Amino acid sequence: MSKVVMKIEKMTKIYHLGKVKVEALRGVSFAVNEGEFVSIMGPSGSGKSTLMHIIGCLDYASGGEYLLADQDVSNLSDNQLALFRSKKIGFVFQQFNLLPRATNLRNVELPLIYAGIPARERKKIALQALQDVGLGERVSHRPNEISGGQKQRVAIARALVNHPSIILADEPTGNLDSKTGLDIMDIIQKLHEEGNTIILVTHEPEVARYAKRIIHLKDGLIDKDEVVA
Amino acid sequence: MILQGLKIALESLWANKMRTFLSMLGIIIGVGAVIAIVSVGTGSTQQVTSRIADLGSNMITIYSKTVRGQASTVSGGSSQENFTLEMADYMEMFSPSVKKVIPIKQVSGTLISDDINVSATVIGTIDEYAQVNNYGVAQGVFLSQDDDRERRQVIVLGSQLAEDLFDNENPIGKGVKINYNGRIFVFTVIGVMKEKGGSMAGSLDEQAYIPLSVAMDRMTAHNYVNSYLAQSYSSEKASNAAKELENFMIKALDDPDKENFKIISQDEILGTVSSVTNTMSLMLGGIAAISLLVGGIGIMNIMLVSVTERTREIGIRKALGAKNKNILFQFLMESLSLSSVGGMIGVGLGWLIAYFLSNFADWPLIIPVISVVLAFGFALFIGVFFGLYPAMKAARMNPVDALRYE
Repeated sequence: MSKVVMKIEKMTKIYHLGKVKVEALRGVSFAVNEGEFVSIMGPSGSGKSTLMHIIGCLDYASGGEYLLADQDVSNLSDNQLALFRSKKIGFVFQQFNLLPRATNLRNVELPLIYAGIPARERKKIALQALQDVGLGERVSHRPNEISGGQKQRVAIARALVNHPSIILADEPTGNLDSKTGLDIMDIIQKLHEEGNTIILVTHEPEVARYAKRIIHLKDGLIDKDEVVA
Repeated sequence: MILQGLKIALESLWANKMRTFLSMLGIIIGVGAVIAIVSVGTGSTQQVTSRIADLGSNMITIYSKTVRGQASTVSGGSSQENFTLEMADYMEMFSPSVKKVIPIKQVSGTLISDDINVSATVIGTIDEYAQVNNYGVAQGVFLSQDDDRERRQVIVLGSQLAEDLFDNENPIGKGVKINYNGRIFVFTVIGVMKEKGGSMAGSLDEQAYIPLSVAMDRMTAHNYVNSYLAQSYSSEKASNAAKELENFMIKALDDPDKENFKIISQDEILGTVSSVTNTMSLMLGGIAAISLLVGGIGIMNIMLVSVTERTREIGIRKALGAKNKNILFQFLMESLSLSSVGGMIGVGLGWLIAYFLSNFADWPLIIPVISVVLAFGFALFIGVFFGLYPAMKAARMNPVDALRYE
């Protein structure tokens, strides 16, 4: 049927805090198909942040395999990981993580800069992306001049510009009031309907329920992998 | 990638204008100080050397060394007695590079006009003194051959001396008394010299000139002089002339150890002066260079703070696909821009300081290109050197930790 976008196999992650060994992931395996919308749920300390960092190519796993867009990512160098982050991953963070002193347009342009897109084309793509999230009027504002919901939309626009294989959303509604949170989830829902692959990390069941599939994580292991109707 | 880094760096510097300016300040002051100090050094050196050259770079002075315990006014076996007028003629004769030898009899005393007393150096000499020294009168005339032959009691005053004695009145034709060893001699002022400024032996403007015959026969009753002023045919021949004179004096005085005379050429004085001023400007330039170094450490300090402060920004950039290289270049370009813009402002500031100082002190404005190139180049080097560590620290940050940083 659908193509597999990412697949992890027996992934482990061990932190050494002084003499104490902390096993954040103890052998997690799952695959995500193209166009799928998956939520990863779990209480704090369940390892979901660690998992997200590894899926986002921000961190190395201690063991196991990770295939992203048909390539083995497990043993890549810093530079190669940066390239994957640039081309294959779009991040949406709980803290928005926009550069406070740069304009919205500039913030959205940032991934394009590191992907080596020429300036003129960059501006065009970024403008279009901002328009798509309904912020065409706010291109030259700075993040501290707009509301939280608008910030998250800028972040979504930024996540989309490089046409990533996976959009990784880490508690995207965590810093928003419930109404704005719903707006943002509607946008993410829409992105899914347009065919984007989305992995959503959250601890709120109402947010997780937007996805068609929910992976429950507990103590570094998959507790339940359920398909929701 | 370098251009990209530069652009991001400039944006971030522009966003923090105050901090940017403060971190540049050290470099601005350092570069400015180097350029101003070197310019002041060269300007003042040139002024001093050109003044000495004005005195005549082809001039050689032959002094008699007074043996300790024998005052010059007391005769009695002193080598000074050999410094006769005939000796001057022989010197000219036996030294082919020497054009003219002028005898000088120095009689210091108190000059009196009405109720004003000024002590001054009075020089007994001949008419050619003015011409050999390239030194003329502003008013009246200099001593003449007739004045010397007829032992006229006439006097030519240095410009400062004339002002001290006569204020703004015209001194020509007025009487001046000289108190020399308790005896009073009355002179008539016939001329006032042009302003000349200082020399190694004090200001020429505070000297007075009288006929040699008056100084030797009337005032001191000596048949010898204090020194000779020899002029070589050209400045190139000055060192030859000095050697010839030395050989002559050794033979004439039978003094192989040069115990009784001393020969000094203007060239020698020039060399001493310029080596002294060179040492001075080297030392001051070194101090300025240290301030440049301190400025560099200031940049490193600011950059380290900036890296820590922007840990999260680094994390964001890395999450969005920035490679370590991108981050490295961004921060390196920031410190390089700081130091180069600071360096440029410093060059301007140094030029301004040098300009005002040269106007104020009345020496030529000289800014050696080498000092600009060195100061600016050193500033750039400092920018790279002290920027490298913070930039590497930024580039090596772990993206997960950087993103979590509050």
